[in-house]
Amino acid sequence: MVTARDFLGRDVLTVGEFRRDELLFLLDAADKFERVTGTLLAGRVVATLFFEPSTRTRLSFESAVGRLGGSCIGFAEAGISSMAKGETVADTVRVVQGYCDLLLLRHPKEGTARLAAEFADIPVVNCGDGAHQHPTQTFVDLYTIRRECGRIDGLKIVFAGDLRYGRAVHSLVHVLTQFKAHVTLVAPDFLRLPQEQLRALDEMGVEYREMEDLEAAVPEADVLYMTRVQQERFTDPHEYLKFRDAYTLDLKILRRAKPEIVILHPLPRVTEIATEVDNHPHAAYFRQAHYGVAVRKALIALLLGHAEKVL
Amino acid sequence: MIQPQELTTHDEESPLMPKPTQQVAKLKQGTVLDHLRAGTGLRCLRVLKLPPGTTVLVGINLTSKSHGKKDLVKIERYELSEAEAAKVALISPDATISIIRDYKVVGKHGLHPPIAFRGLLRCTNPACIVHTERIAGSFVVESRDPLTVRCDYCERSITADQFEFA
Ligand SMILES: [Zn+2]
Repeated sequence: MVTARDFLGRDVLTVGEFRRDELLFLLDAADKFERVTGTLLAGRVVATLFFEPSTRTRLSFESAVGRLGGSCIGFAEAGISSMAKGETVADTVRVVQGYCDLLLLRHPKEGTARLAAEFADIPVVNCGDGAHQHPTQTFVDLYTIRRECGRIDGLKIVFAGDLRYGRAVHSLVHVLTQFKAHVTLVAPDFLRLPQEQLRALDEMGVEYREMEDLEAAVPEADVLYMTRVQQERFTDPHEYLKFRDAYTLDLKILRRAKPEIVILHPLPRVTEIATEVDNHPHAAYFRQAHYGVAVRKALIALLLGHAEKVL
Repeated sequence: MIQPQELTTHDEESPLMPKPTQQVAKLKQGTVLDHLRAGTGLRCLRVLKLPPGTTVLVGINLTSKSHGKKDLVKIERYELSEAEAAKVALISPDATISIIRDYKVVGKHGLHPPIAFRGLLRCTNPACIVHTERIAGSFVVESRDPLTVRCDYCERSITADQFEFA
């Protein structure tokens, strides 16, 4: 039996640290926290140590803390932090933990959250460490799927776009192995899910399909998770444009879909979802961003031991 | 500078191929690394960075009764530390180590790669935080055959052929 105590004081570094029952407990908590505002976190201070900018993630967390009556301190990019003066992450963490109750950390290098957790006596939440992990994004994706579809088990989930470099996809596919979801991976050969990840799915006995044709994959989908092709991964601008425009979801393609299909995207989007899709009743990507606040409210309250009044 | 005296042989008849027991017995003081996987002897020496002037005898592709071909390294007047033995185990997991004092084997055992360890290796992921923070890598052994370790920080899996020793 999972209880709120299992989250008290815990670090949140990778999605792999969370079992299915813990994930479901968190989603249930987020359901209850969706409408909660007030002074639950009064007097608590959360530090956002963002060594690289991520306005969206930072605002989502700051909104969550603010709505529960806590306050945020921190910095939004490395240039204004002590890192610019050559201070190590370890030293920054040792200093700042004396000012706050929780550390939210984002850094371009992989494994930084783990390193910070080794030096901090207070919980550390990984808000993205390079190409490695961004666990709260995955929690939000799971929450959105369950919130929009009513369940996760048994769903047919289609991922399309850049599956090679897309960190959000890697984490979500990994977590879905704990739910009996049917995964279809749609990508051009160059942007397929990495071999290491495919091997892991094979080892876990997870069934998945790989396809190149988005239109052919859409009719079966309960959930369609679109991703952006990241320009920074390409040195040749023509290559980038070729792959960027490989998949564009529009209303014509959606005509072949189930009427209740749920469309997700970790945002920001470029051209992979035509703006005409935005008014589709199941275009859930903006709601997905909004659910992030509910999930982060629940998570922070749990980590700091203030969730029990709501649960 | 280490000046390994290479001893290469292809069959048991060769005059260059002394019996392993004799080799061990002949060393007055030091360390014998035996049953090293064929072809790993010199790599072990490179990684160990022994004190300058150390006398070392290396046998390459010797015939072993149990393992087919093997390498063998004898290090005179130097006893490997546990950390150094662990490095050898990461290169050649089924090697044995014998410590010799006064012509007698005072300790002989099989080497086993540690289950989890700090230092010894460098993470091969250039985007890993350990490089910018200049801290020792920390690893867990993910698989013994083929030997694969995983960086505790970035979680990159590193196979034995990619090992970079610290
Ligand atoms: Zn690493």
